[in-house]
Amino acid sequence: MTKLTLADLQKPAAVTATGLNWVRVSMDTGGIAAGADEVCAVLEKEAGTLGFPLEVRRVGTLGYSFADPLVEVARQGMSTVVYGQVDAAAARLIIKEHLIGRRLLDDHIVASRARSTTLDGPTTAILVKDTAGEGGDKTQFFQFSLIEDLKRRGLQDKVQVVRALDLGVYDKGVAVQFLPSRVTYVNVLAADIAKIVDTTLRSKKLIDNLLYRVPDKQVRIVLRHCGAIDPESLPNSLQHGVYRGLARVLAGMKPAEVIAEMKVSGLRGRGGAGFPTWMKWHLTAEVAREPRYIICNGDEGDPGAYMDRSVLEGDPHSVLEGMIIAAYAIGAMRGYFYIRAEYPLAVHRVEKAIADAREAGLLGDNILGSGFSFDAKVRLGAGAFVCGEETALIASIEGKRGSPSPRPPYPSVRGLFGQPTAINNVETLAAVPEIIVRGGAWYAGFGTEKSRGTKVFAVTGKVRNAQLVEVPLGITLRETVFELCGGVLGGKAIKAVQTGGPSGGVIPEPLLDTQVTYETLQQLGSIMGSGGMIVMDQDDSMVEVSRFYLRFCVDESCGKCAPCRIGGYQMLQILNRLSRGRGEPDDLERIRAICKAMQKASLCGLGQGAPNPVLTSLRHFESEFKAYLEGGVTYARKMSTNRPAEPAPAAATATV
Amino acid sequence: MPAEKTTPELPAQLGSWKDEETALLESLEQIEHKHGFIPRHIAEEISRVLEVKLERLRQLQTKVESNVRKEVDALVEKWKNEEGSLILILHEIQNQHGYVPREVAMEVADALDIGLARIYEVITFYHYFQLKPPGRHNMAVCMGTACYLKGAPALLTEAKNQLKIEEGNTTPDREWHLDVVRCIGCCGMSPAMVVDGKVHGRVKPGEVTQRLTPAQTTKATP
Repeated sequence: MTKLTLADLQKPAAVTATGLNWVRVSMDTGGIAAGADEVCAVLEKEAGTLGFPLEVRRVGTLGYSFADPLVEVARQGMSTVVYGQVDAAAARLIIKEHLIGRRLLDDHIVASRARSTTLDGPTTAILVKDTAGEGGDKTQFFQFSLIEDLKRRGLQDKVQVVRALDLGVYDKGVAVQFLPSRVTYVNVLAADIAKIVDTTLRSKKLIDNLLYRVPDKQVRIVLRHCGAIDPESLPNSLQHGVYRGLARVLAGMKPAEVIAEMKVSGLRGRGGAGFPTWMKWHLTAEVAREPRYIICNGDEGDPGAYMDRSVLEGDPHSVLEGMIIAAYAIGAMRGYFYIRAEYPLAVHRVEKAIADAREAGLLGDNILGSGFSFDAKVRLGAGAFVCGEETALIASIEGKRGSPSPRPPYPSVRGLFGQPTAINNVETLAAVPEIIVRGGAWYAGFGTEKSRGTKVFAVTGKVRNAQLVEVPLGITLRETVFELCGGVLGGKAIKAVQTGGPSGGVIPEPLLDTQVTYETLQQLGSIMGSGGMIVMDQDDSMVEVSRFYLRFCVDESCGKCAPCRIGGYQMLQILNRLSRGRGEPDDLERIRAICKAMQKASLCGLGQGAPNPVLTSLRHFESEFKAYLEGGVTYARKMSTNRPAEPAPAAATATV
Repeated sequence: MPAEKTTPELPAQLGSWKDEETALLESLEQIEHKHGFIPRHIAEEISRVLEVKLERLRQLQTKVESNVRKEVDALVEKWKNEEGSLILILHEIQNQHGYVPREVAMEVADALDIGLARIYEVITFYHYFQLKPPGRHNMAVCMGTACYLKGAPALLTEAKNQLKIEEGNTTPDREWHLDVVRCIGCCGMSPAMVVDGKVHGRVKPGEVTQRLTPAQTTKATP
């Protein structure tokens, strides 16, 4: 690629460069694991035989992990739809039915969450789905009844009725969505069918008592390009407006102005601790020593979290752009991406992004003729959870054991190779360019007063639809789990949600209406963490869950400081003994004492956070622990599983 | 375990093939003469034996010819301008050999002029670097939280029973290595396992045996 100039990037983005007919296949790790490459191969092979041009694009994930592999299809004159759980056979059907026959496929559509409340234009298709979690599925019956009713009125050729895979609406009876308007009706009864056909299809009027007015709660800022752009193509990224933030910065913003804009935005570190990003940059820029470094922390070690991987795989250029802007703000000449070696695809895509950007003059000496020089490299993690901690991460990049060091001095003063260093999470950097383009005030408009903006969460575990969601901070856990992800799998009762991975805590069912912000989660003894949300149902024993997390931390403890190394191990021994029915009366007190010592005296976040899952489980589910002490193993297992959660004691909301 | 390996039909002289190249060729000709072709299970067994032998030869060769030294020198040369190059070099060695052989580690220590302990301190710290040679096939059960909740422990137990080894170990015939991994980021399809680099999602304990057949070509259940 030839070198770009500032003027190239300041031109309006040419999004129209996309053709009228295209398919996009989600080729992230999750999609590929579910068979996306086979699907992609079928589509690419058939694309040439269609008689009209079809662009097949390999993209990152749209976030609907439960429906991998995903294929988004656009056909001229039809609504763009997302198909989920596509295999090779379904891919052939997409070609034959959708692209050639112009008919939607049954049982694969994941409906758009961007619902509308106004009908515009005539309806061409109706998606039907029984959204109740349990009981008989009435989807087929409603599809049949609608078709019959349409036939009676001679409309069957104008409106197609399609069974959807997922409508993004849950526990609202039978739901229907009209395409292309995306008006959605919920709690539809068989008796309503005639009325729907009459009023909505023929007279084009809405039926108020059926209309679903709840707007989509997701706001895609970090994930703005995921699933839309080809992550391995710089030209494609440019068409979608990547690097426009950088152009804006280099064309006339001073480093201090960039930092000021970040301050207005209120963006805080998305790696978990929530340190204000502008402050981190400001502190690093203030230290007079050169060279300074910027590091992108992509060592996503929390089990059950995959946001960073998805962003790196879906939109590496935006993360790189964020890094270059950050480097400009703090005056760094060299940056490192520290990515887990377990994410080979993310590593590959970031390496390609860096090479392409360098070739286009977006990295290297005198970037875009601005006089600013910067270059970036990838460093691989090697499977040590503690390396997500910033001082350990720095040690690892230096080629040493990833042992944390005491802070202060903070990395902003004495970081990589002893030099001032800013370390930002993948998600933080991905948000930066959009903040620059649309302004800090715009970003600050989302979220709550202290926790501004949006956050990507990976909702997994016993949830109906495991997926990535990006929501404004301040949303409640209940909204996220129930409204966006469909609640608990199999219609069971929810027991708790765990946030923050092995350093976070469990939040019991009665507290699910808590707003998700850095402060509230901390008050509950948990943390925001990198964004994993693990749903646990009535069958999950909290003693086992605490043991699981603690074992993780004990395995991952680097062994440098005694509270973490010894405390964790001893606590695990007590828990193991307890779960075998050999607990001693003062065990729970002993656990609490060890937890306190670890929290106060450990060197780094791993040791300080390790007691959190145990402490919060103990706080909210003490009866389950006591059951092991009092009634033995069989009794305790019965007590802790197959039973809805008990209301938490009143003291539960008290601070730590 | 693939059925072919345990079938008793294998010719008794197989043992001697391991020692004698000419005997091997003669036997092959005999079999070909008798059947008109070489039966597949015999061919597979022979190639396996040969592979093991080749591997041993390669190990000997590296010791004799000090190829290791050349290889290490090339790596050190490649990364010499990078600060903190040790981990980068170890990554390359791990990817090439599947583990970090002691001889290679010693050469690296020599080439970088640092103590061997300094290298082992790093190798033993990170999970990614292995000290033992890997098995021919690798099965890794994901033990991330999502997979854990959705039944990964049952998968692991099943795999352990089938392979008769504990996690982190290799079967005595070095065919299979069983591992537990933290999180492979496929939480949407939990419980997941990785067999020879291919991710299988929503695995049921009953399907573990099926995944242990090396020629497995079916894709993950959608």
